[in-house]
Amino acid sequence: MDERPVLELRGITKRFPGIVANDDVSFDLRPGEVHALLGENGAGKSTLMNVLYGLYTPEEGEIRIKGEPTRMSSPRDAIDAGIGMVHQHFMLIPVMTVAENIVLANEPTREKVLLDYDVAAQRVRDLSDTFKFRIDPNARVEDITVGQQQRVEILKALYRNADILILDEPTAVLTPQEAQELFEILGTLTREGMSIIFISHKLNEVTEIADRITVLRRGKKIETLPAAGATEESLARLMVGREVLLRVEKGASTPTEPLLQIEDLHVTDDRGIEKVRGLSVQVHGGEIVGIAGVDGNGQTELIDAIAGLMGSDSGRVLVAGEDVTNESAKDCLDAGLGHIPEDRQRRGLVLDFSLAENLALHDYDSQPASRLGWLFPKRLVARAQGLLEQFDVRGGGPQTHAGGLSGGNQQKVVLAREIDRNPKVLIAAQPTRGLDVGAIEFVHRRLVEERDEGRAILLVSLELDEILSLSDRILVIYEGQIVGEFAPGVSEEELGVAMTGGGRKEVA
Amino acid sequence: MIERLLARLPRGARAVAVGGIVAGLAAFWVALPPLHLRTPIPSILIGLAALALGGYAISRGVKRLGWGAVVAGVAGIGLGYLATRSSVDHLDQVVVWSALFAAMLRYATPLAFAAMGGIFSERSGVTNIGLEGMMLSGAFFGIFAADKLSSWPLGLAAAALSGALFALVHAFFAIHLRADQIVGGFAINFLALGVTGYLFIDTYAGEGTPPDVPEIPDVHLSFLEGWYFVGPILGQLNLMIWLAFATVLLSWLVLFKTPIGLRLRAVGEHPRAADTVGISVYRTRYAAVVLSGALAALGGAYLSIGFVNSFNQNMTAGRGFIALAVVICGNWRPFQAAAFALLFGFSSALAQRLPAYSESAAVLFQALPYVLTLIAVAGVIGRSIPPAAVGRPYKKQ
Amino acid sequence: MTETPPEGGGKVENPRQGGDYAPSVAARVAVWHKAGGIAVPLLTTLLAFFIGGLVVLATTGKNPLTTYKAIFEGSGLNWFLEVGSYEIGIPWTESRVWFPWDTSFNSFAALNLQQTLIVYVSLVLTGLAVAFAFRCGMFNIGGQGQYLVGAIVAVWIGSELPGLPGLLHILVAIVAGALSGAVFAGIAGFLKATVGAHEVISTIMLNYVALWVGVFLFGLGGPLQNDNVGGESVPVSNDVLEESKLNVFWGDPLLQGLHVGFFVALAALVVYWITLNRTTLGYEVRAVGFNPEAARYGGISVARNYVLAMAISGTFAGLAGTLDILGWQFRLNTNDIFISSIGFVGIAVALLGRNTAIGVALSGLLFAALLVGTSTRNLDPEIFRPELASNLTLLIQGLVVLFVGADVLILYLFGIRRRARQRQART
Repeated sequence: MDERPVLELRGITKRFPGIVANDDVSFDLRPGEVHALLGENGAGKSTLMNVLYGLYTPEEGEIRIKGEPTRMSSPRDAIDAGIGMVHQHFMLIPVMTVAENIVLANEPTREKVLLDYDVAAQRVRDLSDTFKFRIDPNARVEDITVGQQQRVEILKALYRNADILILDEPTAVLTPQEAQELFEILGTLTREGMSIIFISHKLNEVTEIADRITVLRRGKKIETLPAAGATEESLARLMVGREVLLRVEKGASTPTEPLLQIEDLHVTDDRGIEKVRGLSVQVHGGEIVGIAGVDGNGQTELIDAIAGLMGSDSGRVLVAGEDVTNESAKDCLDAGLGHIPEDRQRRGLVLDFSLAENLALHDYDSQPASRLGWLFPKRLVARAQGLLEQFDVRGGGPQTHAGGLSGGNQQKVVLAREIDRNPKVLIAAQPTRGLDVGAIEFVHRRLVEERDEGRAILLVSLELDEILSLSDRILVIYEGQIVGEFAPGVSEEELGVAMTGGGRKEVA
Repeated sequence: MIERLLARLPRGARAVAVGGIVAGLAAFWVALPPLHLRTPIPSILIGLAALALGGYAISRGVKRLGWGAVVAGVAGIGLGYLATRSSVDHLDQVVVWSALFAAMLRYATPLAFAAMGGIFSERSGVTNIGLEGMMLSGAFFGIFAADKLSSWPLGLAAAALSGALFALVHAFFAIHLRADQIVGGFAINFLALGVTGYLFIDTYAGEGTPPDVPEIPDVHLSFLEGWYFVGPILGQLNLMIWLAFATVLLSWLVLFKTPIGLRLRAVGEHPRAADTVGISVYRTRYAAVVLSGALAALGGAYLSIGFVNSFNQNMTAGRGFIALAVVICGNWRPFQAAAFALLFGFSSALAQRLPAYSESAAVLFQALPYVLTLIAVAGVIGRSIPPAAVGRPYKKQ
Repeated sequence: MTETPPEGGGKVENPRQGGDYAPSVAARVAVWHKAGGIAVPLLTTLLAFFIGGLVVLATTGKNPLTTYKAIFEGSGLNWFLEVGSYEIGIPWTESRVWFPWDTSFNSFAALNLQQTLIVYVSLVLTGLAVAFAFRCGMFNIGGQGQYLVGAIVAVWIGSELPGLPGLLHILVAIVAGALSGAVFAGIAGFLKATVGAHEVISTIMLNYVALWVGVFLFGLGGPLQNDNVGGESVPVSNDVLEESKLNVFWGDPLLQGLHVGFFVALAALVVYWITLNRTTLGYEVRAVGFNPEAARYGGISVARNYVLAMAISGTFAGLAGTLDILGWQFRLNTNDIFISSIGFVGIAVALLGRNTAIGVALSGLLFAALLVGTSTRNLDPEIFRPELASNLTLLIQGLVVLFVGADVLILYLFGIRRRARQRQART
């Protein structure tokens, strides 16, 4: 194997207002290898790749392609240099066909001006057949599965004769089977001489697929090491910078009466697909029930149906004994539900409201915040003062706009609001997504405390670590149904099998 | 070729729905000249048939066309009944089919130009509320240049240029400054009103534009003269009407049959995706918006130097907004939009001729385009779906 | 909007949302609202006037400052500069007290100022109509239509129902006019709330529906055309009955003195501020305006607030139409309906006033002065031709609106610096 790198990044520095996203990062890619870029969320992996792809201009540093210094001022330059990128959010146009998406900007023409769609479709079909992708060029992108969409993205790169392929968190949206299929495709591609940069924060898949691994932490390159011999523990240490506290300190749970009861729930999403298909769950006071599953198996719809944000077709939802099936969001909240939403910026907070106003989002219309429709802003501020202290929110006072806080502090505000209402049932959806380690620990500790207060907590998370370390019982959701129940001691492998529909068993 | 065309003809429930629409129109038509049925019964029967066909189509899932048939049926019964109640003389006075169709084409032409402009702009992702202003500037600068330079082609060129300049301002604020596109378009309307009004008063004072301004000529097709019905309609149309047909056809070709169109639509649907394959989002949007201004202005120029041969302040009087309605009802597609331009043109033509019969009823026909658009955006007759990224400023990373 | 690293999470991006036509409004509302100071609107206005001045200079060679001074004097705002020692009567008493300005019929400036304030009444109200919807994340372009509907209903009720006591008649007309505006605007809110129809499109269309309905009603042969002797050929409504006309408290009623609707407009400013900042309704409206998704999650009915906010907007605009009819127009003819654009100017008022009560109060005065100062009746034709000047006003309005859009850029620059400081403070 030729050891001369096809690609070199030397001393790349990229600053955003207020943060250094990449600090003097160097990186190289050898022909035919899979080189993984590993790091936590916000470590600077995507930024580095966007610099390489010409989407960001770095303040310092140099890019060399096959030894030649190259300026990347737009994606066009990157494409010309033989680089293809599969973005984390697919860059596909849903209403157009697969072929149109693939040939876009490099279209075959007839008489120089007319688009030759037939030729385009044929070329895509040939390319797809060569790599056994099984993609219909005439299908509309919005009608095919996420896994197929990803293959369309890879085809886009192949169509442009890329020999360097960047994959940004490619497995985040895939089922484990689809991920395995992707890995096989990547194997085929490297055998054909393609070099691949594989961005991930998942230790297991990195050790499985990569030849070499470069670890980034807080914008800095920590180390590049061969995958052979690297253990998950050692990588985790490099990634996080200290021994990770995987287990949360907590005592045994003392479950009381069932506070959240879901019976045979069916929910259809707005595209008419049944996403929750006869699901039943009971959560008792004083326990944390974790729901594990691959993204897109009905978690969002389940939560929305419980919280009154989405209607259900049949079945029942009871909060503290009160039937709230198909009631409004307000009624669900009033029945004793607290809800830490999946996306705090979009759903959890009104970023342009002050913290005081945000903290009143549920009870602005009851005493003492207001009376007969008359609002008392001073009371909102006074209450916020106490809550912000109690939950150790830093970076602003009651009058600060929520948008000005860091992610961790924003999540603390959401937590403060939901817990202060003294809910009987607390739903926590991805409560630590995108947070730094300190904030994660705070949220985890707080959830355990609330459990010990006797609340029923339903934890929905895509992070198996989080599920394993917090839950008193673990349920696995697959295609809208609960397919398995496990004790917290279960191994990740066992959970993984259940999450992919293997070893399926009905749970009473 | 013929096979391909046949393949595009509606089938099954769609054909039924189309039949329903035709029946609905026929329900009205039987009561009009030259048939002049004097009893409402045939109108009612044919209208009910249209309702039945529409209902069947809806039950088979063809909602948009099906509802269209239902609406056509109801309207056919109503209008047919009204027609049988009025005197034959009145009907003959109002409904001279060939004149009506010729007037329809005249009224539809400015709408078609501006609507094609609107389609280009919005397909690229830039909302264009400023069509009205761009049209108005075309109307003024068209006649201004034609007068001063004594040449209608130069008038047309000046009109297109002025519309393009206003569009350039809109594009700069919408694309580079990422200002709100509705606010920007709205400002263009104010600006155009002020600029044209100011220059009009400044140049022509109180007298108005001179009567001898060079006009866009009519196209005389002498071989058509003897033809029944077709002759009077198509025999001597203004050059701009023929150009409008060509513009619609070309717009469709460019948007759906060329790489340029594919890229433009990609920019309007998902600009970032277009950017990552190397398409310049800014350049595409600039080009589309400037083109839309030029086209809208040509529509305006037709008004001033092709149709009424004079200019007065705010002479477009909301036609730019009807063009916007045409774009929306036409689902951002050239041929569908052209069909709505004809429909709205027809309602204007009818409104122009109706005063002979009833002044007040004529007025209500003027409101028809706006009511139909409300119905269209309300989604009663199928939902019109705009390009996904329209109105969203794009920030390069 | 800002340059930030890509967000985390692995959801597939699907930019298509049905009925989403120009979704940037909510974001813009937020930015405008955050813009504290008066500096940016002031700069915007100055720049617009500067360009307007250049136009005057280039086309007529006249000194723009002389022209602007004439407009200023035409608006009557110079009244405030003519300080002296005068007296003013106290309402409902015979006593008079010292006052620094001349309120008598002797002052020509006072006459002009009365005109300006009459226009101010309708501009404040149509401005609030736009502003309130904005605070709920909606762009109400339909102020003109809502204004017309209010005027139509007011002229109808004001000219019918003889025998009703004066005050009651006025109250009935005002309530009916305001409510009709509310219902008319509510259509757009309802369409947005139920089927997601974009309010910009529906309000534009409703404007023209109102216009043509008005022309139909008062036009030749229309059902509400006047029944004066020989009036069949005049497309105008009946006159409002004498007892339902609003009281003129300053100036001569025969010369269009200032009517008591002025106080209604001032009260509306206060009501606007209180509703937004001191009621739970205002809290809901603002939450929906900033982030409908979070509001919904917080238990607020987004659909209800869309309808309600539009209805409240329409109330303001309908009130404007009503007060104009009862205060000084007294009748409506089809030509008035065609050329009226007060509702559109209201958009400029709201935008320049940044959708705040105080901002609308100030920018309303600016635009009222411009409109009146350039009118044929008030501008000295020796200095500048009023027909030209009224177009100059349109030009300046257009520039102001255009730059209001662009000042988002200025704020954006401010914003970057502030965020940068915050980030540094955090790390």
